[in-house]
Amino acid sequence: MGKFVAGKFLQYVIVIILMVTLNFLLPRVMPGNPLVFLAGEDVGFMSSAEKEAILEKHGLNDSIVQQYGTYLKNIFTGEFGFSYQQKRPIIELLKERLPWTILLSGLGLVLSTIIGVLFGTISAWKRGTKTDVNLLTMFMFLSAMPSFWVGMILVSVFSVQLGWLPVFGAESAWSNLKGMDRFIDIVKHLILPLTTLVLISVTSTFMIMRYSMLNVLGEDYIMIAKAKGVKEKVIRYKHAMRNALLPVATVFMLSLGFTLGGATVIETVFAYPGVGRLMFESVLSRDYPLIQATFLIITFSVVIANFLADLIYPFLDPKVGRHNG
Amino acid sequence: MDKQKWKHYWRVLSSNKLGLFGVSLLVIFLCIALFAPFIAPFDPTERVGSPFMKPNGVFLLGTNDIGQDIFSELLYGTRVSLLIGVIAALISIILGCLIGVIAGYFSGKVDSFLMRLVDLVLVIPFLPLMILLAAFIGPSFWNIVLVISLISWASPARVIRSQVLTLKTKGYVEAARSIGTGVGAILTRHILPGVIPIALSQFVLAASHSILIEASLSFLGLGDPFTKSWGTILYYAQARGAFITDAWIWWVLPPGLLITTLVISFAFTGYSLEEILNPRLRKEQ
Repeated sequence: MGKFVAGKFLQYVIVIILMVTLNFLLPRVMPGNPLVFLAGEDVGFMSSAEKEAILEKHGLNDSIVQQYGTYLKNIFTGEFGFSYQQKRPIIELLKERLPWTILLSGLGLVLSTIIGVLFGTISAWKRGTKTDVNLLTMFMFLSAMPSFWVGMILVSVFSVQLGWLPVFGAESAWSNLKGMDRFIDIVKHLILPLTTLVLISVTSTFMIMRYSMLNVLGEDYIMIAKAKGVKEKVIRYKHAMRNALLPVATVFMLSLGFTLGGATVIETVFAYPGVGRLMFESVLSRDYPLIQATFLIITFSVVIANFLADLIYPFLDPKVGRHNG
Repeated sequence: MDKQKWKHYWRVLSSNKLGLFGVSLLVIFLCIALFAPFIAPFDPTERVGSPFMKPNGVFLLGTNDIGQDIFSELLYGTRVSLLIGVIAALISIILGCLIGVIAGYFSGKVDSFLMRLVDLVLVIPFLPLMILLAAFIGPSFWNIVLVISLISWASPARVIRSQVLTLKTKGYVEAARSIGTGVGAILTRHILPGVIPIALSQFVLAASHSILIEASLSFLGLGDPFTKSWGTILYYAQARGAFITDAWIWWVLPPGLLITTLVISFAFTGYSLEEILNPRLRKEQ
C-alpha cells in the first residue's frame, strides 16, 4: 500500500510542477509584450521609468533560471502577486472566494454521487424494462445539455417567472442577516446553482453504477442469496449495491476535476462569488496574473482531493491493500 | 473492408433504432450547415431590424441586442459548432491513435511512460486549463480547436491502447512478425485496420464532447468573435440579460436545445457504432 500511495504522490507532484511551469512560461513565451501579461493593458500609457520598475519588480531582468526560482518560491509561500484590475493582493481574493467554491462543488459532488448510485442501482435491477430505458435516456439527455444553459433556464423559470428563488449571488447584499436567517438566505441562493451542478455531473456516476451493478448481479453469490430466499431488498442494497460501489469510488475521483471545471461555468451564470467566477471576471478584464492564480488554485484543489481519495481507496477495496502491501 | 461486411453493418445499423435516429439527425444538421445561406432569411451579420424585437412573421425568433435576426444566426451557428466539434475530434483521435498504438505495441518503458502521461492529463481540470490557454493565445477559430484537441486525446488513447494489446496477440500479427515483417508494415497493415473501427466510435463521442466544450468556452467569452457559434449567441444573451426577460423563450432556449440535440445525435451514433463494431457487446444486449 505504501508503494501505491508513493507512486500516486509522485504523479501528483509532477502534475503540479508541470502546471506551475506552464503558468511560468505562458506570459514569457507568448507573442506580445510580457509586460502586458504581468501588469495589464495600462502598460501602454506608462513612462519607460515605470516600465523599468515593473521589470525590476518581477525580476524580468534576471536570467530565466533565476526568474523560475523566484516564481516557485512565491507560489509555495502563497505570494501570487497583485491583481491590477481589482487593486488587491491575489491571495486575499482567493481566500474570500475559495469557501464558496468548496461549498458548491463539495455538496454537488456528494449529491450527484448519491443520486447517481441510487438510480444506477434501480436501473440495473430493472434491466431491459421500461424503467431502465427511460432512466438511461433521461441521463443521456442530461449529459448532453450545456451546463450554463441549464442554469440560465432554471433562473428564467424559477427566479424570474415564478419568483421563488433569488436570481444571483451567494447571499443577499447589504442585508446584514444574522444566524438562522443568514443560513436560510445562503441555502436559498445555493439551490439553483447546486441543482444545475448535480444535473450536469450525475450521469457519469449513474452509468458506472449501472454497469458495475449489472456485473455484480451476474455473480454466483447473488444467485445463492436468491435461492436461499433472501428478501429482494436485502439482496439489492446489502449484497449487490455495496459490492458495486467500488468503481464508483474511482469515478468520484475523476469527476473532481469535472465538477470543479463545471462549477467555473455555473458560478459565472449565477454570479456566485467562487473561484470559478473570479476566473471568469479575470478573463473578461484580461487580468492575466489573476487568471493564472485561479487556475493554479483549482488545479491544487483537484490534485489534493485526488490524493485524499487515493489514501481512502485501499480501505474501501481490500484487493488494492493486499496486492501492494 | 469488403462489400459484404458493409452490407452486414448496414443491416445491424438499420435494426438499431437509436443509431438510425442519431445518424438521421446528423444528416439534417449537416444539410442545415451546408445550405445555411439558402435557408436563412437574413444575413446574420447585418442589422436587419430594431434591437430586442419579439418573434413575428418576419423575424421568426425575434432580433438580438443590435437588431440581427436570431433565427438566421442559429442556422449559420450550426456551421461553427459542427466544424469545431468535428475538427477538434479529428485531431484528438489522430493524436490518441498515435499514442495508443505506440504504447500498446511497444509495451515496456515506452508504454508505462505514455500511460503515465495519459493519467496526468486526465487529472488536470480541463475546463480551467482551456480557459487559461484560450485567454493567453487569444480567441480564434483555430486556437479553440487546438486547445480542445490538446486536452481531449487522452481517453481515446487509453481505449485504443487496450485494443492494440488484444490485436498484438492475434495469430496473424504473430505470424507476420515471425516471418520478419518490419514494424512499420505490421503497424500499418495489421494493427491499424483493427484499430480503425474503435477509433471511429471514439471519434464520434469525442465530437460530442468537443461541441459541449466549445459551447462553454464561447459562453465564457473565449470564442471567435467573428464566427458566432451557438455558445457565442448564448454569451450575448447572458451579457444583455435576456434570461431575466421574456426573451429567454426565443433567445436562450433555442440555441441550447440545438446544442443538446447535436450532442445527443453524436452520442447516439457513437454508442450504436460501438455496439455494431463490437459483436461481443451486441450479443450481450
